Amino acid sequence: MENSKPYCPGASPYNKINFHPKVKAACAENRTGRVGLKICKAVIVGDVSVGKTCLVNRFCNDVFNRDYKATIGVDFEVEKFQVLSIPFTLQIWDTAGQERFKCIAASYYRGANIVIVAFDLSDEQSLHNAPKWMMEASENADSPIKFLVGMKRDLLSEAAYTEIETRAMAVASTLGAEYWPTSSKTGQYVQEFFFRAVAMVFDTNLIRELDASTVPAKQIGSGMIQVQRENSQLYEKKKKSQCCK
Amino acid sequence: MGDTQFHFRIRQCPGRKPTVKAHNAYNRDCPITLQSESAYYYGFVYFRQTKDRTIRRGYFQKSVVLVTKLPFVALFSQLVSIIAPEYFDNGEPSLEAACHDIDQWPDPIPGDTLNLPIMGTVIQVRVPCRSDRLVGGVQAKSQERHTIPAHSVLPTLHEVDIYSAFHSILPHVQLLWELVLIGEPVVVMAASPSVTCNCVQALINMITPLKYCNDFRPYFTIHDSEFKEFTTRTQAPPPVILGVTNPFFAKTLQHWPHIIRIGEMGGLGTSPKPLNKLKKAASLKTLDSKPGVYTQYKSFLAKDKMILKRLMKGSQSKRPVEAQNAILRRHFLELTQSFMIPLERYMASLMPLQRNISPHKGAPLLRQFDPEEFLQTVEHSGPQLTSGIKGDWEALYRRFFRSPNFEGWYYQRQREVNQKLQVLHMEALSNSNLVEWIRDKEEVEIVDLILRIKEKLKFAINNHTVVQQESVMKLQKHLENIVSALPDDLQTVIKT
Repeated sequence: MENSKPYCPGASPYNKINFHPKVKAACAENRTGRVGLKICKAVIVGDVSVGKTCLVNRFCNDVFNRDYKATIGVDFEVEKFQVLSIPFTLQIWDTAGQERFKCIAASYYRGANIVIVAFDLSDEQSLHNAPKWMMEASENADSPIKFLVGMKRDLLSEAAYTEIETRAMAVASTLGAEYWPTSSKTGQYVQEFFFRAVAMVFDTNLIRELDASTVPAKQIGSGMIQVQRENSQLYEKKKKSQCCK
Repeated sequence: MGDTQFHFRIRQCPGRKPTVKAHNAYNRDCPITLQSESAYYYGFVYFRQTKDRTIRRGYFQKSVVLVTKLPFVALFSQLVSIIAPEYFDNGEPSLEAACHDIDQWPDPIPGDTLNLPIMGTVIQVRVPCRSDRLVGGVQAKSQERHTIPAHSVLPTLHEVDIYSAFHSILPHVQLLWELVLIGEPVVVMAASPSVTCNCVQALINMITPLKYCNDFRPYFTIHDSEFKEFTTRTQAPPPVILGVTNPFFAKTLQHWPHIIRIGEMGGLGTSPKPLNKLKKAASLKTLDSKPGVYTQYKSFLAKDKMILKRLMKGSQSKRPVEAQNAILRRHFLELTQSFMIPLERYMASLMPLQRNISPHKGAPLLRQFDPEEFLQTVEHSGPQLTSGIKGDWEALYRRFFRSPNFEGWYYQRQREVNQKLQVLHMEALSNSNLVEWIRDKEEVEIVDLILRIKEKLKFAINNHTVVQQESVMKLQKHLENIVSALPDDLQTVIKT
């Protein structure tokens, strides 16, 4: 279950570290309904040039490009997962940090399940602006799961990092967001972070669905489910599937 | 006042490049009716007009127009309805962002289901393929596993709701089908361009899978460059379909043989009783003429009362418009197919026999289409085999043969068949033992053979998608062997 843990216990308002037993049971019994057919929408926001596009590129294409190219409007990526053997799709909307695209942002945030506020660990001001980004994005989103993600971890010494981490964690906790430090250059925590995000939204969606349609008739045989099944291969990340390139 | 959506079609300036190169691959595999336009552009318009005191003329009025050569009416109407309101609210960055989104779109590969991100949502739509089965929806299912779930699934790339478009003139739809099939001039008059667009597009759609080969203008205005050309009284009306809203046309086009007048689409439940009587065109003098079809045309086929009854019943029992549309669409698809199947069958009989394909003769050609010979087959194996509709099918065929729709279909088939024959001929040549054959031949005959092989290889390059790679390789091998069997001096001549 390693993949579904937060970065560190104190860094998250979301205290679940495992899939809900109900969720596991549902998946094992294959009664997940249409969850697999649903899309999960993630938006990434944050100041200009903090490394939003780099984070997406590292995760989706496993590459790092040193050259900076400003995003125009919004970039779009799709990633397919298997969560507890259920196919699940993540849409990533990578928005432009530039001020001139601010006005169009609301339509892109609409219906987001995950809001990722990115900031540059080596740029205090970008952390300072994080609450503003979080507020704007969450307003139009669909009671999203929130993340505050520090970028460019590789540029900082241990001492400098420890200092910013305390402040970032404090910001995260006031925002009700989970904190992650990442480096798109080295790949540190990039995959762990996205897997955590997907696992959480999967769990939340499925619980919501299961609660909405309580099916007592299906209780037969639920005693036989092995909830404790040790599952080392929770995620088999499917071959990269970019629908749009 | 408020927002209006419509589309128009305009001629491309002569002398410009006919097609976008990227469309070639698409055009090869898509249904003929969906090929990108070679000489026309479509413009999809979202027009907003609102009172605004801060502007000198007292109104805000602006349009967002999407220009394209692809006839994806449903998709582009949807697209412009997403982009335009954003633009009116937020200005240019939204256009920039939308263009950037569109820039990331995949190519329209026939048969693929596309996921098209735009303004924070993803439109999912399937691009039809020439090999699709037209009746039943089997192909859609086999696609599902490639599909990613999406927010908004568009049921069709290009189809319009023909039921709603013809709602007020339903009793005449079959007559309209004939008019479109034989390429008669038709003008659609309505109060709003959205109505004329839907109606004109629905007319074109009625003869699917046949391509409508005349010019058509979903929204034609007095400012169009062809205004004089189309409205002149010195010649007979041109064989085009026009949608117009300007009352001026009621007078200018008074002499047109077929006029469709459609009122604003009201609530579907409360619409006036469909008008049964056809009216003489001459009676259309005043601007407030009633909805209806004004023509003196006598249809060749008897009216199919069954379909009308079914639709009436459906409308009484509040059957959803989508279902009504599907029923009507299906009806016309079957009617068109009933009309075309005898032609397709006759066309197939013009194919030379496989055994007449000889590697040492030229590729055989398709026999000429003979209308009289075809019409003799109609009596015993005509449309009556698949359609219950009675009438003078033969006369309808005769009119059809004079229309560009027939010509377009015939050239398309001819091209396909001749290409197929070339491929078969090439395979025959590649499978024969040429080295054996040249043994007792004169040099001049051998050189002739070499030239023929080279010709074939050139054909293979131009038609690489239909040619088997194996035959190309065999032919190349043959060529090498034959050339190397020639005397040295001739070899050098041939290689240069």
